[in-house]
Amino acid sequence: MKKVLLTLVLVGIALFSFAETLVIKGSNTIFPVAQLWIEELKDMYPDLSITLEGAGSSTGIAALFNGTTHIANSSRWLKESELEQMSEERKYFIPVVLGYDGIAVIVNPNLGIDEISIEELAKIYTGEITRWNQLNTNLPNQRIVVYSRNSASGTYETFVEKVLEGKRMAPTVQMLESTQAEIQSVAKNQYAIAYTGVGYVTNDVKVLSVDGVQPTKLNILNSVYPISRPLYMFVDATNGYPETGPVKQYLTFGLSKRGQELVEQAGYVAAYGF
Amino acid sequence: MNRRDFKNIINQSIITAVAMVGIVALIGLFIFIIRETIPALTEVGAEIFTSKYWYPTYDPPEYGMLAMIVGSFILTGFASIIVIPIGYIIAFFLYDYATNAEQKIIKSAIDLLSGVPTVIIGTFLFIYVSPILMNFGAWSSGNLLLAAIGLSILSLPYAASLMQESLSAIDISLKESALALGASRFTAGFRIVSKAALSGILNSIILTINRIIGETIVVLMVAGGAAIIPKSIWDPVRPLTAVIASEMGEVPIGSVHYSALFVAGLILLTISFILTMISRRVTRSWKN
Repeated sequence: MKKVLLTLVLVGIALFSFAETLVIKGSNTIFPVAQLWIEELKDMYPDLSITLEGAGSSTGIAALFNGTTHIANSSRWLKESELEQMSEERKYFIPVVLGYDGIAVIVNPNLGIDEISIEELAKIYTGEITRWNQLNTNLPNQRIVVYSRNSASGTYETFVEKVLEGKRMAPTVQMLESTQAEIQSVAKNQYAIAYTGVGYVTNDVKVLSVDGVQPTKLNILNSVYPISRPLYMFVDATNGYPETGPVKQYLTFGLSKRGQELVEQAGYVAAYGF
Repeated sequence: MNRRDFKNIINQSIITAVAMVGIVALIGLFIFIIRETIPALTEVGAEIFTSKYWYPTYDPPEYGMLAMIVGSFILTGFASIIVIPIGYIIAFFLYDYATNAEQKIIKSAIDLLSGVPTVIIGTFLFIYVSPILMNFGAWSSGNLLLAAIGLSILSLPYAASLMQESLSAIDISLKESALALGASRFTAGFRIVSKAALSGILNSIILTINRIIGETIVVLMVAGGAAIIPKSIWDPVRPLTAVIASEMGEVPIGSVHYSALFVAGLILLTISFILTMISRRVTRSWKN
């Protein structure tokens, strides 16, 4: 009798949670933000069950097309082909900007340099320039120690896309596992250069202005700063904006004051309430 | 069948079952890894082993592991050169010269050292040792030498205690007869006992190398992480274990990139398998 009851309860819970499961897929860049949101959302709505998968922006959008996800996180805008597919299938996806990703270029405070251009940065990272005095004759004749995040990181993706325009990073670039390691390395090595999400920069390192623009919050929000991009959540609104239900709860929380604080906590720039 | 037979059968089957778990796990592991490597090996082919350009996330991607394979070997060789002589000296001292009190102190120090989590050693090297090396001319905070030091610290307890065990395994009468014939303490230990224990020592060396090549966290933290073939001890390296640890977390499952990481795993497993086989051989040839 006890067993039957237990089974019934379990089945009940399973059915109930199935009805409420919210599926989120997409960009690895947005993954940490979504994770923070979900943690707090679960406290607010204990019945809500959410699955989160970071498989890349394209995978997320493809999943939105075939209906296997409710929300597609994307660190890029829709491609032409996706827009065409939308009109063919008579679907309508709406973008919700959740925050901005801005990448700061950092060097050691003792290095006599304050700004750099995108072109110079690309030359350093593709290995065309290897010594500081090649960049500027006032700089020391020393090898540039180039650091990057590992290729799994979203910051790396943005950097390759915005700075290298898809060109290959030189094999001599040292891949580090964490932003913390990057900052430590640059703080200790006078001839090092690295890039990191703006949210992580500390006083141990110097932030360069890129093409004459400082990565301030406003410059990133308005995309005046060249290495920045908006981060999106795409939602299927073919049948109208979701007015109730888990998708709505998730979006509303994400754009709330607390949700935006968590965007900053994940190292990005909040889109609202600055 | 009496009760005793019955008990015996039960015990035997339990022991067999438990022993089989290990064998099945090993075979399963091999099958799993080999299966996952098939997409990369068929789609990329020999380029994996001949190209030194590792660009798995670019378009078009390239999956060359040569620099990382060579990096793994150089780093392992370098660390072995540091750790094996030191390990032997410690073992020799413990066996031949140390008083009981000294033995106790050194042994417990070794045991403690082997218990330190690798991530702590990595952090320590990165924060304290790396700046010192930079004063000596290192241009990169993570480099071959630092990684070799880290690997040596990690495998030293292992090497020393294995070697000491193989020295102690030699019958004391051998040493006593050498001493009785007028050999000095050093000669008796170094030329007689060590020679007798040679297979055990070789075995310890192989096991130590095996351990060094598979170590991950320390190399991930302090080896520098540039996929180049190092030309000096100040150059950064990126061994295979570091690549797997760094990229496996976020790679799309089932992709060629994912599969290529398994190729790296297979290379390591094969090396370790060969080393273990050699070590078995060495032990057996001694016993015959």
